[in-house]
Amino acid sequence: MSSIATDDRPRRSSGLGRRLRNGGISLLWALAGIGIAVLMWELAKWLGTIMSMPFNTSDMTMPHVWTMIAAMGEPEVRGSDTTVLEAVISATLRSLLLAGGGFIIGAGVGLLLAVIMQRFLFMERGLLPFVIASQTVPLIALAPLIVGIGNRITIGPIEWNTTYSVMFIAAYLAFFPVSVGALRGLHAPTATALELMRSYAATPGQTLRKLRFPSSVPYLVPALKVSAAAAVVGTVVAEISTGVRGGIGRLLIEYARQITSQPAKVYVAVFGALAMGLIVAALVAALDVYLTRHLPKENSA
Amino acid sequence: MTDATQTAVLAEGVWKIFNEGQSGEVTALQDIDMTVQTGEFVSLIGPSGCGKSTLLRVIADLTEATRGEMTVAGVTPHEARQKQLYGMAFQQAALFEWRTVRRNVELPLELMGWSKDKRRERALELLEMVQLSDFAEHRPWQLSGGMQQRVAIARSLAVDPPLLLMDEPFGALDEMTRERMQNELLRIRRETGKSIVFVTHSIPEAVYLSDRVVVMSPRPGRITDIVPVPLGADRDEDTRESDDFFHAVTAVREALRGRVGGAEARARIGEV
Repeated sequence: MSSIATDDRPRRSSGLGRRLRNGGISLLWALAGIGIAVLMWELAKWLGTIMSMPFNTSDMTMPHVWTMIAAMGEPEVRGSDTTVLEAVISATLRSLLLAGGGFIIGAGVGLLLAVIMQRFLFMERGLLPFVIASQTVPLIALAPLIVGIGNRITIGPIEWNTTYSVMFIAAYLAFFPVSVGALRGLHAPTATALELMRSYAATPGQTLRKLRFPSSVPYLVPALKVSAAAAVVGTVVAEISTGVRGGIGRLLIEYARQITSQPAKVYVAVFGALAMGLIVAALVAALDVYLTRHLPKENSA
Repeated sequence: MTDATQTAVLAEGVWKIFNEGQSGEVTALQDIDMTVQTGEFVSLIGPSGCGKSTLLRVIADLTEATRGEMTVAGVTPHEARQKQLYGMAFQQAALFEWRTVRRNVELPLELMGWSKDKRRERALELLEMVQLSDFAEHRPWQLSGGMQQRVAIARSLAVDPPLLLMDEPFGALDEMTRERMQNELLRIRRETGKSIVFVTHSIPEAVYLSDRVVVMSPRPGRITDIVPVPLGADRDEDTRESDDFFHAVTAVREALRGRVGGAEARARIGEV
């Protein structure tokens, strides 16, 4: 609502063209970044052959980049039809689904908590310490507990399975940034805007929908970014600590055990986990563009 | 929608005391008696802390009077707010930047449950009145400060309330834009016949716009004088340079300095 111009002419809007051009430049930088990473990796390996390095550069711990690429096409286990790449892709997609589910549930719960805390001051006082405390419990301690409790839950015909535990853990990590960010955002409207709504005799629900939610978007978007990343990490860690099969977390562990026979294999799984993070980041970035499409483009988080 | 009682605002012995009975008790308004006739333009003027904004907020039911009777368009301020009998404009335009200009004007209608087509029609009509038809689909942040304030005025007129309450709406604008906006407001007033209560700290602004200027003084906030401005209904740029205007400005200035009456200057209005 903001700035006040002294002249009486309309200001220029920022165009789509500039955003696309910026996007293209970002992509070039990203590709250059990957190129530099590959070069540094191979440089380190080469240096390892002519001098002593502070870390192990053997083919066992640091396989060549081309060995990793070759490993993608190898069969996952001897004689199997599926290649390593296919196995990694399917595991990545499965984990992505769990992370996505955890993210949506977590963001939904976070938003709901923020609305409740904003609406009732005593809830903010009472609930916020618990919200913050929830994130200080180490995930490693929490995971077996959730699986243990979860396995005893049956809701009607639905029986709890360990996949839900993974999603729960992802959601547990994802809700926090959203609840804190959204709470700030819901408090963001200026006193004047709130008085305006009051002068219209608007109900609290109307004020929430027409003013507080739209005002919270600039706070919500960065929170969603952090939350999405947390959901991805949460999923991988939860898969590892609960031993759920089929996801990228479990695959990482399995391939790491085969490092003596196929050292490059685990890196393919690492790329899968990386890709998962990037896909989620891209989806949230797309959501950002959509949610902030009508806002002035001066600041970007 | 004009009320039969012929008074837009009637204040009788209104007090507003913050933190009453506690340490830090502040008497923001002391024994305010004031009448705004239907169709009248009344400005509230005074130094900061004189309670002019508080008085406006009591009228608008944004805060409650501690004692006394306040009647707005024949009903209590609370009823007036519930029934949308007044429109309000603030120093900040307070436009919602995620909405188009047109949809900002539609906001109060939306809250009252008007249909989409009727809302749109009404908003476009109002944007024409404030001469912003070409900017209906722009975003507020693409507009200059003066244009934003015109949108805010259009929005305050949306439900066609009989009364407009304006809290220093031109306070953040530069002098030239400000004078243009004052002319716009007088034109809108002529076209719509609204009663207007206008808070300002600019003496020429109060004089140029008002039928009467209510002069207030701080600690405790009270009305010290009410200066009539008999400049007629048709005021334009020439009015600002007339002797009558000058005398009226002097009368208000004298009243602000505590010389009750400013009688000498007041007597000279319309002398020539």
